[in-house]
Amino acid sequence: MIIARPLRADAPARNGPLRGLSRLLPGPLLALLLWEVLGRALADAFVLAPPSAILVYLYENLGLMSRALAVTLANAAAGFVIGNLAAIALAVLASVWPRSDGVVRGLALLVFCLPLVATGPILRVVFGPGPWPQIVLAALAVYYTTLIPLLVGLRAVPAGWLDLVQSYGRGRLAALLHVRALAALPYLVAGLQIAAPAAFLGAMIGEFTGAERGMGVLTLRAMRSMNVDMTWALATVATFVAVLSYLAIGWLARRFLHHEPPVILAAPTGAGKGGRGQGALRGLLLTGAAALLLWWGALALLDLNPFFAKGPWEVFSALVLAPDAAATRSALAEALGQTAIFLVPGYLAGLAAGALLAMLIVLVPRIAGVAMPLAIALRSVPIITTAPLVVLILGRGALGTVVLVAIMVFFPTFVACLHGLRQAPGRIIDVLDSYAAGPVQQLIRVRIPAMLPAFFAAARMNVPASVLAVTVVEWLATGNGIGSLMALSASLSDYDMLWSSVVLVSILSALGYAGVGVLERRVFRVYAPEQLQ
Amino acid sequence: MSVSVVCTGLAKTFGGSVEAVSPIDLTFAAGQTTALVGPSGCGKSTLLRMVAGLEEPTAGEITIDGHPPADTLREAALSVAFQDPSLLPWRSVRQNIELACALARRPKNATDIDQLIHLVGLEGFADTRPAELSGGMRQRAAIARALVTRPRLLLLDEPFGAVDELTRKQLASDLPGIWEARGTTTLLVTHSVTEAVMLADRIVVLSPRPADIVADIPVDLPRPRRQTLSREPQFARIVERVFAALSQGMARNLPKAAQ
Repeated sequence: MIIARPLRADAPARNGPLRGLSRLLPGPLLALLLWEVLGRALADAFVLAPPSAILVYLYENLGLMSRALAVTLANAAAGFVIGNLAAIALAVLASVWPRSDGVVRGLALLVFCLPLVATGPILRVVFGPGPWPQIVLAALAVYYTTLIPLLVGLRAVPAGWLDLVQSYGRGRLAALLHVRALAALPYLVAGLQIAAPAAFLGAMIGEFTGAERGMGVLTLRAMRSMNVDMTWALATVATFVAVLSYLAIGWLARRFLHHEPPVILAAPTGAGKGGRGQGALRGLLLTGAAALLLWWGALALLDLNPFFAKGPWEVFSALVLAPDAAATRSALAEALGQTAIFLVPGYLAGLAAGALLAMLIVLVPRIAGVAMPLAIALRSVPIITTAPLVVLILGRGALGTVVLVAIMVFFPTFVACLHGLRQAPGRIIDVLDSYAAGPVQQLIRVRIPAMLPAFFAAARMNVPASVLAVTVVEWLATGNGIGSLMALSASLSDYDMLWSSVVLVSILSALGYAGVGVLERRVFRVYAPEQLQ
Repeated sequence: MSVSVVCTGLAKTFGGSVEAVSPIDLTFAAGQTTALVGPSGCGKSTLLRMVAGLEEPTAGEITIDGHPPADTLREAALSVAFQDPSLLPWRSVRQNIELACALARRPKNATDIDQLIHLVGLEGFADTRPAELSGGMRQRAAIARALVTRPRLLLLDEPFGAVDELTRKQLASDLPGIWEARGTTTLLVTHSVTEAVMLADRIVVLSPRPADIVADIPVDLPRPRRQTLSREPQFARIVERVFAALSQGMARNLPKAAQ
């Protein structure tokens, strides 16, 4: 998990959003101008709407757009509250009862890896046409981004404070109430900042699955009717909402918190303390058991129609025992293979582009000061909601999918890496300066090693994020791969296939996340042993 | 209301190999102030943390008035002033002192707190947050916090480390008055020999790691001790004895360290 905020040097605290905005203006103004020119030049290609056309569209459809926005905002807000409350409850549980920490993390990751593309339709069947699927999806999109920094924040307490509590004979609950809760507040805020745009994204995806009203519904309509202006207007509104919510929470935090929210958090790898051998295996087994139990429990509790609500046993039998199990397996394997062709290059390209651009920018410090706030703002844009744009521009082929995944991965990686590079200890830089080592030497010897923890944290978090991106594009646009298979099975009511793919995608994402974690530990053993403590 | 602390065969080994405290028998008499003096890293803080119940001994046991430390902890009858002041950054000096009352489940008494703030010389800073205080001021706030719960056992782990020389002398002549009046049993970890002689009724000199008792020196100087006492010959004699014991301890463990 990466959470970044502007460094103090970039955006001095306590002078409100205006100062930051004034620094941002020249770049975006230029971009707007370029956009307008390009949009007008390519008017016949039906891909790009110039800002003027977007404004005109928004003005002419003010009623429609604001009604849709209000609906989506309400759902996103409800999901935001529910998801964050869940995250806080889980973090408190893990803090008061540390033994549960591993299972809490494991389960949280697994649920976060659920492909929204498939959970959306399932929730739609469960809840019907009302707002609940959107709200649940928004909550699902939010809780993890809050939980992870909160877990870190609850732990990031000097040992002396805990000794103090213990020296008066008080236990974990007192430590939580008197010390940890407030110490974790800045971390919570950092999480909420990321969560706010994520909630909006979750709500929109929920609306893709057949809601009656909302921004997601309009987006689908715009895409189907090839309405370029409308598509761009919707994406613009979504972007504005995301950036504004991000800035608003940051502003509130600076206003009411006495210390700055943490600049960056590279949470320890999922494996945590029991990272090796038996401990890891036990954690895995416990998490698996807990997941199965929850799955069964939820189905039993909700008393759902077994026609669409498949339990672990049904999925197992669909994949292994049923007469058509072999066909199901091969269909899934084929779809996963198609997805991997887009996912892996996009993921790697996004990571590489993010890291490389960050390095380049650090070599030219003057750009870095401007690029950082811009990238942070852009990172909060729900890339998925701009999927229709990418499809418009690059078409429904492989390129569009790969690019979209890469963009999804790029921004968080870029922000994390840029921050990591600038985190390099000043004194060591001073030492290198005293030997007249140039910026390239500094980059290679000091900054890149200092960047690695942030890079890997971004790489881990981006596994589920890129799976989300690729499945959404497959579903909305390209019509192949696992995303499309899930959408197709949902519409054909092939619930065995749907649940099987949900299980498979979740497990694969979680494994990918864990796999990056393993790689991370290997690299850290050499470059950053302190991260492994 | 004084308590005595008895350590028998007390030892601590970290990570199975680093021996911090070798088996020690020590009794801290009720109402007395005992200073533990030794070179840095000799394990004196570990000893103190074991008495505070913050560290489990590897061997041996501690009893406080015949009970295990956990009982004393449960009654919130002890206070520690840590080397690191450990003030919560979002609370003012007063609120940090009040935190101890909350943790110890004692009612907070505003007059008491004001007196303590005055005693440690922080008048005018009661509503200041730690970030705006100097290191020494923070340590003084931590001392006030340790005293506010009227502990029967007071554990001070180099509490004056960052306090400036002048204030340190002032504190050294003011604080013992409170302990005496309250009958507090006090354990002071320090590496300042003059401070130990000024404050303590007895000085236990420890060897370099693993901590072992080199000398147990009574400080039979009259109380109250004024700052001028440090210029008296009997003061100098005790300081001399402590220094001699410290060098003896260094010499004793040299062969071990060289291995």
